[in-house]
Amino acid sequence: MAPSVLHPPSHLSPAEALAVSQQAPGILRASAAAVSSSPLASLLAGPEDPELWLQYENLIVSCLRTGDDLAANACLRRLAIRFTAGNERVQALRGLVREAEAKNNGELERVLKEYDEILEANDTNIPVAKRRIALLRSMGRLPDAASALVRLLDFSPTDAEAWSELSDIYLSQGLYPQAIYAVEEVLVLAPNAWNIHARLGELQYMAATAPGVSTGSYQKYMAEAIKRFSRSIELCDDYLRGYYGLKLVSKKLLSNGAKAMKQADDSEFALPDTSTVERLNELATAKLAAIVRHSTARDRGWRGYSEADVSAARVLLTEDASAIKR
Amino acid sequence: MPFLSKTTTAFGGLLLAHACYSAREHTTLQSLRAATAATLTSSPAAAVSLPVDIVIETIISTLIILLGLVLATRPLRPLEWRVWAGKIEREGEEGFTDGSGAADKGFVGNPFSVLESRPNFVDIRKQRREFAEWVQKGTAQQ
Repeated sequence: MAPSVLHPPSHLSPAEALAVSQQAPGILRASAAAVSSSPLASLLAGPEDPELWLQYENLIVSCLRTGDDLAANACLRRLAIRFTAGNERVQALRGLVREAEAKNNGELERVLKEYDEILEANDTNIPVAKRRIALLRSMGRLPDAASALVRLLDFSPTDAEAWSELSDIYLSQGLYPQAIYAVEEVLVLAPNAWNIHARLGELQYMAATAPGVSTGSYQKYMAEAIKRFSRSIELCDDYLRGYYGLKLVSKKLLSNGAKAMKQADDSEFALPDTSTVERLNELATAKLAAIVRHSTARDRGWRGYSEADVSAARVLLTEDASAIKR
Repeated sequence: MPFLSKTTTAFGGLLLAHACYSAREHTTLQSLRAATAATLTSSPAAAVSLPVDIVIETIISTLIILLGLVLATRPLRPLEWRVWAGKIEREGEEGFTDGSGAADKGFVGNPFSVLESRPNFVDIRKQRREFAEWVQKGTAQQ
């Protein structure tokens, strides 16, 4: 079944994106080219469907991805007719189309300059500001992108998506403490997001296993990682990613044994004692084994996990089993 | 079990219709009798309430209809956050389908996944490149 056109397509696999963009001609044909916004027309015609505009937006992204620039431009034209070309989201989408069609760096620079001009006229134009940051990042100017994003967050500090992007930029620069701080801000805004808790756990684990980390901060990161993965499991039953992370962290802690655990217990970030870690490890192993078993058998009610996630869990479990045999 | 719920509702409706018919018949009969009695004796007719069996039939038929409708509802959504979230992760789209098999229109999967996919910051040039590579790989394999 093709994924719905109503959801943002940026996380889809190439095959799914192709399936979505192949729906474009049908949707374009099925709906009128220009929907007038005059009151008389809206009286005569039926009520307009707000989902249509959402579909156009998502189709633009999918079609640009699969190289169907014609359909993308058609969708953009319709959005511009309905919402006028000065609309902030339409401006951002037009920029997106230009970025995709740009053939060399000069054209990209020109798009960037256009963004700057738009922002000069109205520097609270958040969609265009976000596009500008994404373009800077895409051109490899990471420090510029980070500082622009920090400026955006200065006047719009409740934008969880922007915090998340900032964390990703910092991570790609290897700045773990900053990346962790940004994800913590996301969690302040969305405290129930189980995937963000797991993400923070992953970041802590990455920070802990990065080369040149002192023993003290290693323990702090590992303790935090255990806490975050546990929280993500608490928020979501049978969460593969959470259990995978928990298993990874507890295995690492058990494998480097008691020598790292002898730190004073008075600090806030003290690691749990060995027996607790062992029990967590057993729990994660049992849960992962159950998930892998059920999804391999394609049991009813266990088909939501992605193929790649399940096979990664299987690899982790077999590694563990062979380590025990040795 | 759509069949069971539908037959229950239909049965309840039948009973209710029967109760209504009985009540109507009863009142017509009563008014007729009162009219004849009035012409004969010219004494005011006592107000007569419905017989108990018709009242009971009405109540029971209503309850049966209610039972049928309740049986026909879709399974309720999980109330606890972690159970609901676990259902999304474990069952995916399949867990949120109605009787006909089509996915619930409002189903978005994990509502927080946008915080990780970040559609407003999409790097379209990279996605385009990756898609072209994927196509090339597909044609090379054929």
